[in-house]
Amino acid sequence: MSEELGTGAENTWCLGCGDFGILNSVKNAVKELEERGIERKNLLISAGIGCHAKIFDYLNLSGLYSIHGREIATIQGMKFANPELKVIGFGGDGDSYGEGLSHLIFAAKRNADITMIVHNNENYALTTGQMSPTSVEGFKGPSTPKGSIEEPINPLLLMLSSGASFVARGYPGKMKHLTELIVEAVEHEGFSLVDVLQPCVTFNDTYERYNESVEIIDEPAETRFEAMELAVEEDRVPIGVLFKEEKDVYHEKVYPEFNPVKDKISKEDRLKRIEELIKGDE
Amino acid sequence: MDRFTYIVGGKAGEGVKKAGSSAANLFRKMGRKTFELDDYQSLIRGGHNFSVVSSSTGDIYSHYMKADLVVNLDGRSYKIHKDHLKEDGLMIYNSGDTEDGDGVGLPIDELSKEYSKSDLIKGVAGIAVLSYVVGMSKDELKKLVEKEYSRGVEENISFAEKIYDAAEEKIDKKFELDEGEHSLPVFSGNQSLSLGASAAGLDMYIGYPMTPASSILHFFAANKDHLKVMPVHPENEIGVANMAIGATMPGARVMVGTSGGGMALMEEAMSLAGMSESPVLFVLASRPGPSTGVPTYTEQADLRFALNQGHGDFPMIVASPGSIEESFYLTGEMLNMVWKYQTPGILLTEKHLSESSMTVDLDPSKVEWASSKEFEGEDYKRYEVTEDGVSPLKFPPSEDVIKWNSYESDEKGITTEDPEIITEMHDKRRTKDETIMYDLKEINTVNEFGEDGPVIFTYGSTTMSVREALKVGDIEARVVQPVYLRPFPIWEMDEYMDEDVIVVEQSSTGQFATLLREKCRIVPKTVIRKYDGRPFEPEELAEKLKEAIK
Repeated sequence: MSEELGTGAENTWCLGCGDFGILNSVKNAVKELEERGIERKNLLISAGIGCHAKIFDYLNLSGLYSIHGREIATIQGMKFANPELKVIGFGGDGDSYGEGLSHLIFAAKRNADITMIVHNNENYALTTGQMSPTSVEGFKGPSTPKGSIEEPINPLLLMLSSGASFVARGYPGKMKHLTELIVEAVEHEGFSLVDVLQPCVTFNDTYERYNESVEIIDEPAETRFEAMELAVEEDRVPIGVLFKEEKDVYHEKVYPEFNPVKDKISKEDRLKRIEELIKGDE
Repeated sequence: MDRFTYIVGGKAGEGVKKAGSSAANLFRKMGRKTFELDDYQSLIRGGHNFSVVSSSTGDIYSHYMKADLVVNLDGRSYKIHKDHLKEDGLMIYNSGDTEDGDGVGLPIDELSKEYSKSDLIKGVAGIAVLSYVVGMSKDELKKLVEKEYSRGVEENISFAEKIYDAAEEKIDKKFELDEGEHSLPVFSGNQSLSLGASAAGLDMYIGYPMTPASSILHFFAANKDHLKVMPVHPENEIGVANMAIGATMPGARVMVGTSGGGMALMEEAMSLAGMSESPVLFVLASRPGPSTGVPTYTEQADLRFALNQGHGDFPMIVASPGSIEESFYLTGEMLNMVWKYQTPGILLTEKHLSESSMTVDLDPSKVEWASSKEFEGEDYKRYEVTEDGVSPLKFPPSEDVIKWNSYESDEKGITTEDPEIITEMHDKRRTKDETIMYDLKEINTVNEFGEDGPVIFTYGSTTMSVREALKVGDIEARVVQPVYLRPFPIWEMDEYMDEDVIVVEQSSTGQFATLLREKCRIVPKTVIRKYDGRPFEPEELAEKLKEAIK
């Protein structure tokens, strides 16, 4: 574990929270990425609002602590402005699969070159355990005292059908594996989603369920359709990279060879171009 | 003849707007100044659209609704514009769609039938008739059509010539227009403000389509490779505003644009920009509300909405240009402002300013290139408490850790709930607000037109209407137009406090008048309001002003 990646901020997650495993995996992934030549200064992070988002204060990396569900848009803005940066967004299930769902779908659709790590604990923990988009039917929380009457959404299926070019699922109980997934997701050029099955010891303790059911898959599915089949398996929970494909990324389709911040044209050049527009066809 | 007004009307899909903008260019080439209003409905085919182009050898700030020449491309247009003709004006109707009209009937339907785009081509009739009655030769018309209607040019020229021949045969009236001395380009308010932002170093424009702001997005999309301003069209306005905030962190100069409904969606991010101190410039192009309202028309009922954007206390700058020319310079200035103070700003316009076009004199070299206070030294703190409340910026990639935050945070950007730090950070932002006000006192924040006479307060596009009304009504008055609306330039208002003030605005409740009362205890004697979606007409407004002054 790399202590220097901490900030000294007091950690307020519950003892045993799955978020610790995610935090440590991220720290290890950052070290590994550095080994592979991606400098720490080129990493930029963002987070939504919720228990997951406290990771922003615990990681000594530059970034912008965003608002509920909007970190997905925040990191795309960062990336488009300066494509040499590698951007990582942390979201929760209520955050990325609820409030910010439209941003997630469209980020996948346009293949924005970003990485989203979603701490999926199947409830709204920071607001005391209400049902979330991924809560199982029957989930009891303060807003559903008799149990949720809604079926959960399957985020991986949703991402696969939205055109995501990298879809993975990890589990903090398998930290080394999760670290590898994060490294691969950040290295992937294009939209990457890592859905992390995060046990919430206080409101939704899923350690037992997932310890029994997760199973590491070694290879991604050959096709998007086969990945969808992996995503809906019920007798086991496959973790690993479900699907991965190479395709053009958004910012390079807009400007193949231009970084808006780094290659900004000079004032003189800009004014000359404006004069041309003003003069028009005179 | 000095002032000349041309109206062309027809169904959506008949090339009405193009018949308007081509006319504006025709007048421009005669060295005249022009003002063009496009009145269109929220539909793609049918209905009634019209363009009014008024021109003059001298300054002109508004269209006029009494026209010298009206060209009606269909029957409905004739019925609507019957009353818009001057006594000695010339009315042209489509004899294929109007029986027994007053004026001159031309067989527009019959002649357009043989062309592949028989509806869209009809607009060319407007420009052909205009060319004939102002004394242009058929050859000059051909050249104009070649330039203005380059797509399908042969058919367009052929049709234009047939209309010209028909006009020559049936019309026995001509207008001799004075040539002017200007050679200025014609731009819409949205084009002008987009150019102004570009001249201040804009790197990115992010927008989701919404009338009357959409044409800003279209402008940057069309000029993507020429201007190197990256256009982005995301999933919704929430995505727009949050992407913009993210893009400012590595240093991109970003502008976003929308109308009222979209601004409501951006409001959450507006507050985030206030807290995280993100320099984003928002363009709020108003249209009549509430809700969907009347999408393609004009109103000034978003003033309070603009001034009160965002939950919580934070500094914000709101300014509204009073002309299409001013929208160029002010937008450049506002991009500088938001970067200088690292806080959000709103450029408030209305449909009438955003989408009307006029001849403008734009000098990009007069616009400052937006810059910011940048950090030098060691131990970087994003929210360092400084004397003026503005913390130096550092952009990633950097060896220093740079943390921006939506939560209240310490100077380093780490979330806090500490009462002392909360107080300290509130004070920091408030200090910044005071710095902004202090600096605004040094620059022009209020425009004044006229030397003597009663005081007329107005703002935004209504300023153009008032100035034209004073001209046509030969009224002596002082027009006071606050350009900056937040912070409101109360320091400029002392001399008006004891005057009998008249307010002119386009809001049913008089939002601007109540703002004057609230900010500087000016209680207007008369508030002239208009809220039918249409801008003021100068001759009508002149009558109202004369009554108010009496």
